[in-house]
Amino acid sequence: MIWLALTLLAFALGVVLQLRFRSPLLNPTLLATVLVGGLLLLTQTPYETYMQATQPVSAFLAPAVVALAVPLYRLRALLARQWRALLLGGVAGTLVGVGVDTGLPRVLGLSLDAQRALSTAPATSPVALQLAHITQAPAALAATLAVLSGLLGALVLPAFLTLLGVRHPLARGIALGAVAHGIGTARAREEGNLTGAASSIGMGLAALLVTLVVAVRS
Amino acid sequence: MPSQTAALPPPVRVVLGLGILVGFTALGEMLVRLLHWPFPGSVVGMALLWAALSLRWVRLHWIEPAADGLLGILGLLFVPATVGAVQFLGAGAEWGLWLLVLLAGLLLGAGVAGLLAARLVREEGGPR
Repeated sequence: MIWLALTLLAFALGVVLQLRFRSPLLNPTLLATVLVGGLLLLTQTPYETYMQATQPVSAFLAPAVVALAVPLYRLRALLARQWRALLLGGVAGTLVGVGVDTGLPRVLGLSLDAQRALSTAPATSPVALQLAHITQAPAALAATLAVLSGLLGALVLPAFLTLLGVRHPLARGIALGAVAHGIGTARAREEGNLTGAASSIGMGLAALLVTLVVAVRS
Repeated sequence: MPSQTAALPPPVRVVLGLGILVGFTALGEMLVRLLHWPFPGSVVGMALLWAALSLRWVRLHWIEPAADGLLGILGLLFVPATVGAVQFLGAGAEWGLWLLVLLAGLLLGAGVAGLLAARLVREEGGPR
């Protein structure tokens, strides 16, 4: 039970710190992962023990993925009005992202585990985690790399898009959501409602698209 | 009768929503197993829920409190999985290469998405 408590408390602490310092990079998932992971190492607790103890949290993961349909449905009017920009832009961006994350590890000769885990990084972490059963990637690695992809995206993409001259809020939002999913969307919301909405759509589409790509390749 | 669910106490509305969300998860998992689809059941459940909302078989206010609650703490739900990354600390320097791959995917993917979308946006006097 203690590991469950520590996980909940570490996440809550992360949210408190994030609100205090107003940075999407001070991410509660990352903070909880580092804190709890550190404690596991310190106490030499096997990961299997920890996983068993936190099953009540993991049980809600699949219904939460199902709940991603809600923001997509809420934004249906925006999606219908701007489907060319959002759908084509989002699909192209996610496909390029998946292509690079699949091809580059092969070129670099990375381990098979890493190749499989990297290939789902443009999908939101819970989806990457569920896809790991199909790609046979180590689930923890697939989930972690997806989180890191979101963090890295939130860090570098806004400035990169400005550099490219991408100024329209819809275009910036869909670009962030298509490859940097949840954490990118949190960053997009800071730029405005429209950017955040476009990013939510991009994240939902990316979840569906990465799933399709994995299915086709398997 | 949309006010029927509004009359329910908030915790019960969450229970109702969770029941529906878990139901769609189960439905997705059942379909995947029966048809041998190479999809996670939850993603199929998400697509089914989207369809059911669009067809108005499921009303948004039935599931809103539960869905917003779950999505509000989405980052917590996969902490048990990401903590498993401690098993991969032995990869050491390879983490640098992994981050490099992620960075390349992000820049190229977002670049293509941003430039293409900027071209295809319909100007409409700014929807708010």
